[in-house]
Amino acid sequence: MSSATNHMAGAGPAWQSWLGIVAVVLGVLLSAGHGTEWMKQRVILNATPADGRFPAAECPEDELIEEGLSVAECEQLVSNVRSFVVSAPAWFPGLQSLLAAVGTVLALVSVGVGAALVDRRRWAPAAAIAVFAALTLIDAAGFVAAVNAGPILRDVYLWNVLLWFFVHLMMTLGAAAGRASTAGA
Amino acid sequence: MSNTTEITGETEIERTTGSAGYSRTAVIVHWLIAVSIFFLFASSWWMLALPLPSDVFTYREFPFQLHKTIGITLVALLAILLFVRMRHRPAPPAVSPWMRRLAAVDHVVLYVLIVAACVSGYLSSSYSGWGTTLWWVVDLPNWGYENEELNVFFSDIHLWTCWGLLAVAAVHISGAVYHAFRDDGIVRRMLRV
Repeated sequence: MSSATNHMAGAGPAWQSWLGIVAVVLGVLLSAGHGTEWMKQRVILNATPADGRFPAAECPEDELIEEGLSVAECEQLVSNVRSFVVSAPAWFPGLQSLLAAVGTVLALVSVGVGAALVDRRRWAPAAAIAVFAALTLIDAAGFVAAVNAGPILRDVYLWNVLLWFFVHLMMTLGAAAGRASTAGA
Repeated sequence: MSNTTEITGETEIERTTGSAGYSRTAVIVHWLIAVSIFFLFASSWWMLALPLPSDVFTYREFPFQLHKTIGITLVALLAILLFVRMRHRPAPPAVSPWMRRLAAVDHVVLYVLIVAACVSGYLSSSYSGWGTTLWWVVDLPNWGYENEELNVFFSDIHLWTCWGLLAVAAVHISGAVYHAFRDDGIVRRMLRV
């Protein structure tokens, strides 16, 4: 199919442009978020001392000035990582890495799908439903993981993942409703 | 309408705006830059809350190297974007003059801030005494010597240019979203590959 015939004639339904740009902007932000989460899990897993013990923080004065930190804050930086490590069940880093990696890829795909929606590609509405639904499932899995990870990680992840879950759910339903209304027109 | 579109490969919006969009390279590089910038923001806020480096705590090693590597690559990507945009300039969109001026100013400030943020970050790193290995392959020369005052000076410039970049990026995104909601075809120019 040629590029020209792959396009809808004229402007097409406006909902595609609206939903498309939202998908593009949120996809860029989400890929950054999931990418950071993936790195976070890998770094903490690989850099935590093998014996799992956390010695006292080293807080040289010149570093404190450079970072704008007090000694208490510097010590807290170590406590934060320790709290993250001790509160994560054994299965959590692996699952979270997997969800973040898949989420990063899907977020980048949603940027492409959003662009295709704005560009009125014929296949874009169906692809949007599939990709947004997949992102909703990733959020749902992340929600279940956070619920079962204990109170400390729940506090870190739960609200954020719930917010994204509803955003992606609404985008999925928006794409489905738009496609249905276009098909019925 | 449908027949005309299929024959010319041009949509109604393109005929209205008189523009065929940016080149494929420009579109791809633009979105690579966008994702990189927001990844740098998100990851930097996290990595600065990691324990200070020591013999035991090496949490910062990988994120800082990645941050510097992506930042330096960003300058190269921006150079490519400017080069391809100079070679292929789409027709100016049919918008009011003040909007065109605002968009032009926004773009220039955006480019200047990206370069300033990346260069100041690299100089800050050079004066900190920590080396930079681009993509874990190329050892970059330290342009500075270990100097705490200059490190803090360039670090402050890096910080404030980044906040400025975030603000200007918000204006840039607002413009894109506004035009997409108006569905006037302007945003499509940077979304078609």
